[in-house]
Amino acid sequence: MHPFPACAKAHAGFALLRSDRQVFSGLNMNRRSLYPALAMAALIVLWEILVRALGVPSYVLPAPTQVLKALYTDRAALLAHSAVTVGEALGGMGISLVCAILLGILMDASEGVKACVYPVLVVTQTVPMIVLSPILILYLGFGAAPKILTVVLMCFFPVVVSFADGMAQVDPNYVNLIRSYGGSALQVYTQVKIPYALPALFSGLKVAATYSISGAVVGEWVASQSGIGYYLLRVKNSYALDKMFASVLVIIALSLMMNGLIWIISRICLPYLNRKRGGNKK
Amino acid sequence: MKKLIAALVAMALLACGCALAEAETTDITVILDYIPNTNHTGMYVALDRGYYAEEGLNVQIIEPTEGATNTLVAVGKGQFGVAYQEDITMAHSLEEPLPIRAIAALIQHNTSGLVSWKGKNITSVKDFEGKTYAGWGGPGEEAVLRAVMEAEGLDFSKLNMVISDGNFAALEKDVDIMWFFEAWDMITCELNGFELNYLPVRELDERLDYYTPVIITNEDMIANHPDVVARFLKATRRGYMDAMADPDGCAAVLNKYAPDYTLEMLERSQEYLADKYMEDTDRWGEMKRSVWDNYTEFMLEYNLIPEMIDADLLYTNEFLPEAE
Repeated sequence: MHPFPACAKAHAGFALLRSDRQVFSGLNMNRRSLYPALAMAALIVLWEILVRALGVPSYVLPAPTQVLKALYTDRAALLAHSAVTVGEALGGMGISLVCAILLGILMDASEGVKACVYPVLVVTQTVPMIVLSPILILYLGFGAAPKILTVVLMCFFPVVVSFADGMAQVDPNYVNLIRSYGGSALQVYTQVKIPYALPALFSGLKVAATYSISGAVVGEWVASQSGIGYYLLRVKNSYALDKMFASVLVIIALSLMMNGLIWIISRICLPYLNRKRGGNKK
Repeated sequence: MKKLIAALVAMALLACGCALAEAETTDITVILDYIPNTNHTGMYVALDRGYYAEEGLNVQIIEPTEGATNTLVAVGKGQFGVAYQEDITMAHSLEEPLPIRAIAALIQHNTSGLVSWKGKNITSVKDFEGKTYAGWGGPGEEAVLRAVMEAEGLDFSKLNMVISDGNFAALEKDVDIMWFFEAWDMITCELNGFELNYLPVRELDERLDYYTPVIITNEDMIANHPDVVARFLKATRRGYMDAMADPDGCAAVLNKYAPDYTLEMLERSQEYLADKYMEDTDRWGEMKRSVWDNYTEFMLEYNLIPEMIDADLLYTNEFLPEAE
């Protein structure tokens, strides 16, 4: 018998918990998505009940059912405007990625570049859009360019910072190994640093992807003739709060989709992440 | 000990006095449509010179969150607000209309119009095809531009419409046409030496001579506190009378509350508005049914609203002080 029965029980409990986790990992996954979904659904039901019970006017806060109705009736317009916004977000993400990789490598290769560039990057994150908007309109007009630039301004920073940090954390022994075999600086990057920093790069991209849609919407507020941000401004001016909330739902859905897209790409580019998980299961 | 008691008694008396004084004054919140400007001067003058206090009103003037004034007044977060005829009509076209009504016109005619940079030589609506118009995304904007272009036999689809919050400098570049208020944006341009061509909308279509801006209140105030509404307008009228009689002096008053503008700009704007506040009327704030009906019909014709709205739901002159 265990000298401390209570501890024995606890140990057995822990063992059980662990085996549970292994056997029912599928169930845990479900819980992970089930709980937030339930919480969200409960909030929405509560919202509906409160709006109806308190008789909140629809020009103050529409009920979720009214929002869903607006989402359905205006689906064609929302879809068309979404396509524009997604295009801008993808364009901005693409430019952010290319620039982040180039600048990230430069910053990693030279302390001088890093010291010069890093403060500037931080500053770009602090300038309010309202200050930049007249300049953006004057020099970039009303096409996709100012929106894409807004997305870049919001998305570039997390990507370059996480990528540069990822490369900085490479074990110097790996680098030395490549060097001792006569590897060039280019090989140090292609063989060790970049592959090692990829997971960090993808973390940064996930953050950026979540921001990218809101970035495009902010850009559309500056100047636009289409896109979800444009739609949102128009319906707001017409007191159509149900449509306004519907466009918010669309913004949320699109942001999650962008995030999911990066997740899928990361799984394709870094298949070892999947393998690691499979290994754990065994 | 005596001293302490005396002090306590004095404090109690003071508290009573305050409570009595409070019972006599009514707290009023006025929500502006935009940052403080010369459209609002009369209210700031009435506040500054104690006209509201004389009517027993403790007035606080606040600036709105963008586009929320009508809603805030509708739910009673403010007793009065500054709004535009277009927005009030729009708000009444909803399934659940906002319970708000206009109670006084601040300017008798629509003093806004379509502007372009002089260098682009856009002198009439006939020049609009192939140009870019930058606006704020209001519901009536597109209808107004469509109406004035189609009246000239032009193709509205050839006007490029964008939403933009850029300033007048954009007119030299990609933007060709914007919608300005004469008393404000145009004077800003003038002071900056930026030359404009100006087409007043009321000359393009008489239905476009709608009220902008107006003072609004909610139905609760009209039904339950008509005396407060009348006292508020009485004091407000005095403020605007001062602004008409002494534009420069009142510009200085406004400048106290809106210190970010130069006094010169405010004076110029005030001088321009002095004879606009009561143009073609003997009674300050008065509104005409025909003006309300004309624009409601216009909005109906261009499908901005689903059906005609009775002007009695939109405005009332009943609280206006009589002309002296």
